[in-house]
Amino acid sequence: MNWSAPLPGVVLVGTVLVAGAYVASVLDAGAARLVAGRPLRVGELVAGPWREAALLARIRRSTTERPDAQTWALAPALLAAMAGVAVATVPLAPGVAVADVDDGIVLFGAAMAVVMVGAFLHGWSSNSVFPLVGGYRFVALALSYEMPLALVLIAAALPAQSLSVGAIVESQQGLWNVVRQPLGLPLFLVAGMGLAFWGPLGMSDGADLAGGTGVEASGPDRLAWALARHFVLVAVAVMGAAVFLGGWQGPGLPGALWMAIKTLVLLAVVVGVGHRVARIRLERFVVVAWAVLIPLALVDVFASGALAL
Amino acid sequence: MTDAALVADVAIWLFGGGSVVAAWLVFRTDSMVRAAYWLLASFVAVGMVMVLLQARFLGLVLVLMMAGEMTIMAAFMVMFMMNPAGLNPMSMVHQHTTAKVAGVVAFAGLAFVGLVAEFPDRPVDPASEPTAELGEELLGDSMLIFETAGVTLLATMIGAIAIAGKRGRFGNAQEGSAPPPVDPDAPAGPDAHPSPMHGGHGGHGGMHH
Amino acid sequence: MGLLSAAAGRAEVPVFPVVGVGGRQAAEALWLMPGIRVVDSPRAAVLLVVVGRLTRALLHPTMLVHDQLPGPRATLWWPGAGGATPDDGAQGTEDLLAALPDVVTTVPGDTAGLLAVFADLLSGRRPSGRPALVDVEYPRWRGVGPHGHGGEGMMGGVPFGRPLAEMADDPDGLMLDQLPLRVGPFFPAWPPGLILDVGLQGDVLRGVAVGDNPYRSWPGDEPVGPLDTALFLATRTMATTVAALEVARARHHLRWLSRTLRGHGLAARAQRVGALAQSLSVDDRPVVEALARRLGRDAGLAAATSGVGIVDRAALERVGIDRYGGPVARAAGLGIDARTHDPAYADLGFAPVIHHEGDARARLRQRAAEAAQALSLAERAGEIVRPPGRPVEGPRGVLAPREPLPSSALLALLPDLLDGLEWGDAVTTVASLDLDLEEAALDQSVATWPARTSGGPTGASTTGAAPTSTGPAPTGPAPTSRVTP
Repeated sequence: MNWSAPLPGVVLVGTVLVAGAYVASVLDAGAARLVAGRPLRVGELVAGPWREAALLARIRRSTTERPDAQTWALAPALLAAMAGVAVATVPLAPGVAVADVDDGIVLFGAAMAVVMVGAFLHGWSSNSVFPLVGGYRFVALALSYEMPLALVLIAAALPAQSLSVGAIVESQQGLWNVVRQPLGLPLFLVAGMGLAFWGPLGMSDGADLAGGTGVEASGPDRLAWALARHFVLVAVAVMGAAVFLGGWQGPGLPGALWMAIKTLVLLAVVVGVGHRVARIRLERFVVVAWAVLIPLALVDVFASGALAL
Repeated sequence: MTDAALVADVAIWLFGGGSVVAAWLVFRTDSMVRAAYWLLASFVAVGMVMVLLQARFLGLVLVLMMAGEMTIMAAFMVMFMMNPAGLNPMSMVHQHTTAKVAGVVAFAGLAFVGLVAEFPDRPVDPASEPTAELGEELLGDSMLIFETAGVTLLATMIGAIAIAGKRGRFGNAQEGSAPPPVDPDAPAGPDAHPSPMHGGHGGHGGMHH
Repeated sequence: MGLLSAAAGRAEVPVFPVVGVGGRQAAEALWLMPGIRVVDSPRAAVLLVVVGRLTRALLHPTMLVHDQLPGPRATLWWPGAGGATPDDGAQGTEDLLAALPDVVTTVPGDTAGLLAVFADLLSGRRPSGRPALVDVEYPRWRGVGPHGHGGEGMMGGVPFGRPLAEMADDPDGLMLDQLPLRVGPFFPAWPPGLILDVGLQGDVLRGVAVGDNPYRSWPGDEPVGPLDTALFLATRTMATTVAALEVARARHHLRWLSRTLRGHGLAARAQRVGALAQSLSVDDRPVVEALARRLGRDAGLAAATSGVGIVDRAALERVGIDRYGGPVARAAGLGIDARTHDPAYADLGFAPVIHHEGDARARLRQRAAEAAQALSLAERAGEIVRPPGRPVEGPRGVLAPREPLPSSALLALLPDLLDGLEWGDAVTTVASLDLDLEEAALDQSVATWPARTSGGPTGASTTGAAPTSTGPAPTGPAPTSRVTP
């Protein structure tokens, strides 16, 4: 099948995003129960996301006084679309990629930069204080995420001698990047968690702002925003699995299954960290990002470059 | 003409037209944030045109950089314009006469060039790798220029961070900052103010003397 | 649609609690109930649960929050926790029942009743609650000014009915916008009832004033209901066992820990600690000791709290808390503890736990360590009985006859402490002080709380244009369901 044709491409990316978002929310609820010491109740966990989505679909939309309605509606769409673009660049099985272009990781970086625009607009356009503060928080932090993200991806591209995600996956035959470049995956996950404003880096939608950029959204709008956030998280996990965990490569099982397992593992790690680690202070994180994460990412680039030579 | 080439042609015209319309909307809106993002939309359209012209790397990097830069521009405009939170509508067009003259002159100049210039007709070899060629160019013959510019920018960034940091040029930021006094004999620095956190420290040297 | 409704009806019920007098414990129990999810914003809630008795000062904010629920919505009232019933003459509560005619009254903690209301609401058997307020435009702005939006030029007018932020100095020597904002009394990250009037420069607090305590009794109101420190206050007149006091202290600190963890974005861990607090007994000593050790070592919490909200000895002396002691003072190195000289503790080898940093992290470790210590004391105390009358060490400080209660002094710390903090740090700081507005309301003697002699919520604040007294959506709630005249 020609996955880069429009219809199969959209269906494939949409399926990956929706299935990933569903699994991520089941994992999230399961991790919450484990950490809280409550019984797991698999049936409830499996049905939970559908029920919540149905409830949000039933709740009425609300608005604020003088919002910028168009950009407010645009924000979740931007996030979802950019998550889709990011997933499209990744080969999900041998030969199954919607758009494995030769500048794949640059496209991923550009998509993640536009995610920042979406998160800011979501906070800004509702014309309310806490969402606005949340939006500005995201802007203040986004550079701190984008820099290490770009650097570790460049480092991963070095052994492949290509910016294409497919070539990066191929280059990990025999030795995954998570071993070859041990700094890469942790830095990527920190940055990715920030871009999906998840867990300790969910400062733009944090509990201290009563929900931040999402305070004013209700019903379908809230559902759209939650979905969009999950989509970004899935996109980050898919890219992480491809670039650092060898993508579809692995013994025995079919490639698509390996890819799904690796994505799941990364989602579980991120979701687990979200329930274990406290919300980080803005100021402290920026200092850590610039004084520790970016230098480490540079070390990663230099070491990978030296190895590649 | 193949289907793919037709699609590419149509897309180029759409993105080209889109970039002009978005750029026009920058000046039609009355909100600083919207203006910034219309400009971003215009840049994205230009980036897409570059992608379609096989300059994929440059096109995508343009989008990547501009998304960040336009957001920062919007944030700074809202912060520094004397129009808190952008609540009052604000015209995005100033100095009308100058703007009109500059616009007409620029249009005439570009139109003239467009009409009289002889554009080269060199179809790109489909097998070429523009990203690799760009890399060769930047890190091959132009290495010295590229590296000089890069290191200069890096030094500027580090310098800016050092100045803006907690222990910047005005002393510890936690204690409030104090600019150098206008009166050369007066003591400088945060100690000059009895209570920097609550006093009227401000960017107006000599205000409290 | 039928399938959708059926699925929606089985979702976790999103509730937004409104904590009235005596309702804090019952409201916190909501966090532990299966099938219920407490949400941070009324926009996300289907049920508004009013717990305890409303004072008149809480009535208008409650109505605002009610109208922010997007619907379908319903209001539940859990009386009783504050000792009130629908017909005992509590003024605010009667007003509530008049203002929200569809309120369903059930027993506090009645999960089944709550779920039934939710199911009825989603199946359409119960109509969605009508708005409590009408939309009033104030001041007039439509049609005013060059753009018809009420503004004039860059800085003038009242665009969209709201005055512009003023300019003010910022710590970097610039002049930047400062937005005056009232947050509370139901802001979920703060103790219920706390109202702060702050100036916001970006997300930095500039100029903080504590607003009127809405729990404060007005003429015609019932006195404040049972406090969360009721057992300790009762020692004034009643003999108690040391073991009971110390278990109550440990429970108090664990409940605080649970709230604090939630504020740091750790809802699941908060649930575990909250459940532990609910069923706490002397036998849980090893569990609590392990918890205290783990929290002390937790790097994420350390990064979030160390160096935040430093309360030093001078600040403590300024507000007089050096007389009360309590965990806040002990976390700043002041070893004041009424138990040191309490004969009932003489044989238990008591020595106060002390930390020196005085920041939010020290207070976290202080309370965790004191919870563990309390259980260890309870274990050793056996049947020792404490006679009534002597000053007792409460969970927030010394409770002595005819002395003000510690919460008032802790509240007085806020304005200086919060000024210049980033919003998240301010929330961390407020949480770390373990404030109780009801306890402060009981105290008539502290100058922070000017006595109010008459009047209810003022007319101006009931207009739709200034709905700033609700926490989560302070500037732009204007629910669509309101009627524009």
